Amino acid sequence: MADRSHIVKSYEQELGQLRSMMSQMGGIVENQVALALSAIADRNEEAADAAARQDPDVDGLERDVESLAIRLLALRSPMASDLREIVAALKITGDLERIGDYASSIARRSLRIRGSDGQISLSGLRSMGRLVQDNLRRSIDAITQQDSNRAMEVWHADRAVDEYYTALFRELVTYMMEDPRNIRACTELLFIAKNLERIGDHATNIAERVFYAVTGDNLPAVRPRGGPAAAENAAEPADR
Amino acid sequence: MRAESLAVLPHDGLPLWVGLTFAGIAVAGWASAALAFRRRSIPQLVIPEYPASGLSLSLPDAPLPIEFFPGSVLLLDRLGAVLQANEEAVTQFGDSVGAILRHPAARSALSAALRAEPEGADDLPPVCSTTFTLDVPVPRTLHLSLRGIPAPQERHKRVLVVLSDRSEAQVLDRMRLDFVAHASHELRTPLASLSGFIDALRTGGSTMDEGTRQQFLDIMGQQSARLKRLIDRLLYLSRVQAHEHQRPRDVVDVADLMAIVLGEVAPRFDEDGCTLNLALEDDLIIKADEDEMVQVLLNLIENALKYGRERGRDFSVTLFARRAPERDDRWPEDGGILLGVEDNGRGMEAYHLPRLTERFYRVVDNVEPAQQGTGLGLSIVRHILDRHGGRLRVASAPGRGTTCLVWLPPVSVVQPEMV
Repeated sequence: MADRSHIVKSYEQELGQLRSMMSQMGGIVENQVALALSAIADRNEEAADAAARQDPDVDGLERDVESLAIRLLALRSPMASDLREIVAALKITGDLERIGDYASSIARRSLRIRGSDGQISLSGLRSMGRLVQDNLRRSIDAITQQDSNRAMEVWHADRAVDEYYTALFRELVTYMMEDPRNIRACTELLFIAKNLERIGDHATNIAERVFYAVTGDNLPAVRPRGGPAAAENAAEPADR
Repeated sequence: MRAESLAVLPHDGLPLWVGLTFAGIAVAGWASAALAFRRRSIPQLVIPEYPASGLSLSLPDAPLPIEFFPGSVLLLDRLGAVLQANEEAVTQFGDSVGAILRHPAARSALSAALRAEPEGADDLPPVCSTTFTLDVPVPRTLHLSLRGIPAPQERHKRVLVVLSDRSEAQVLDRMRLDFVAHASHELRTPLASLSGFIDALRTGGSTMDEGTRQQFLDIMGQQSARLKRLIDRLLYLSRVQAHEHQRPRDVVDVADLMAIVLGEVAPRFDEDGCTLNLALEDDLIIKADEDEMVQVLLNLIENALKYGRERGRDFSVTLFARRAPERDDRWPEDGGILLGVEDNGRGMEAYHLPRLTERFYRVVDNVEPAQQGTGLGLSIVRHILDRHGGRLRVASAPGRGTTCLVWLPPVSVVQPEMV
């Protein structure tokens, strides 16, 4: 890590402010995902409402980060890793905002599967949720600590999320074939699984951007992929 | 320690620029402090150096002597960044301090603590506190108490945070719920078979020939053994979970560990066509609970024997321990120790891999019913590794064997002093 002290004190403070806002935004989004998952797994309707209610806060923070980043770019002409960090922040807020949207979409769908899911096991979805949450946590840690190792870890773990999605897809299709009355709930659950998978993708995006911001190098354009094509490669067991 | 003693300290008259310069040093220290910290195996926090003696603590940016506080304490700046963390906070919460502090509840408590003014001139600023739960990496309920430290200028304001873990009660609740949900389902299967055979013996026992009756009794014996095994494993799992938040502190020699494991499993490799190899690097040490790590390896070997082995084919299992490569992105830190179990057996499809550590998940198409396990082995492994700060990776493909890799964090050579 380069020497980060700057002669102009307020520049340092503005950078600190930017990092603080990113971490705040990350915290809210993480919380939204946690609430959305609790809405499904524990049938917690209050959590579903709470997840959706935080959307405006995230949008507001996205705008604030944007204007601060533009201000920094315009007035301070940052160089090297500072420049990359600020540009990465601009893009990362976009990813975080999308993650928040997916979380509230999951929360809303959870209200629609009430009552009809007695015989469908949610344990797979719950574990996939845990895995995605953990990836998200690590990618936000990577932002706040500007840590490229953490970023790499997330980048590698996304394959497990993809494999989880494939496994859940099979499982839900089986439920639908067993009993057509399951179709409604299973369709919602399929969308929820897809949304979780998308959240995992955005967490990986964030990891890639952090890696670039810290090292100046790009990760390979081809990500480690899940599914049958990657059967010979390793995957990290999830649910952690 | 009363907060007064932190806030009201003698002023030795050093001019303000000393404070500002010190702040500069502290910021410049980021890089070196971060590096130094990585070596101590917890990369999350940055702890500025303790001040050179003679600096007054009343300077706005001077560190506070929080190491002496009996509890987990952090010092935050106005924006919520960590300025200092004491040893206890690092050992207890190192992995999740970032996630804790950015939680919306913690954020609003922070801004409340910054806004809160003391009621009278001689009073301390009021304490703001909050409690919330985090789901990852391990479910945990946290309690935060925050108090702002008054400063002449708004931007020098700092906040002291006391962190405590309130998970115990919640974990117990959740454990009870989980136990009821999963176990009732799993226990019912052998129980149903038992009561079916009891009924059959009761109604037709007298007319039954001896062979059939013996067969019924054998099945009943198997089923009750399965019930017992299931209950034992569930109890073990819940014991592991109960102390999931306490990192083990014993230093264990991997060679000793392997000796115990070999002693336990050697009889199972007596049959023909079944070999066990050992590949061990010298002088490996880990920070671990010995009994639990033995369990981990036994479970992995057990799985290899149970799910990997094919009749009529030579089967070999390799147990190995080595240093992790210096730079390996698959693990959270550089260095560390890899333990593993590798077999040349059946292997499995990739879509099973992420679900292996789920409770009661079984790779069904792979095993004869008589051998069926409890579905808890890898779940136990995962909980033990969570407690050790380790990771598990399984690599497998049909027909090409399975490799289970356990990564454990490096043991710092210099033991941190315990406060």
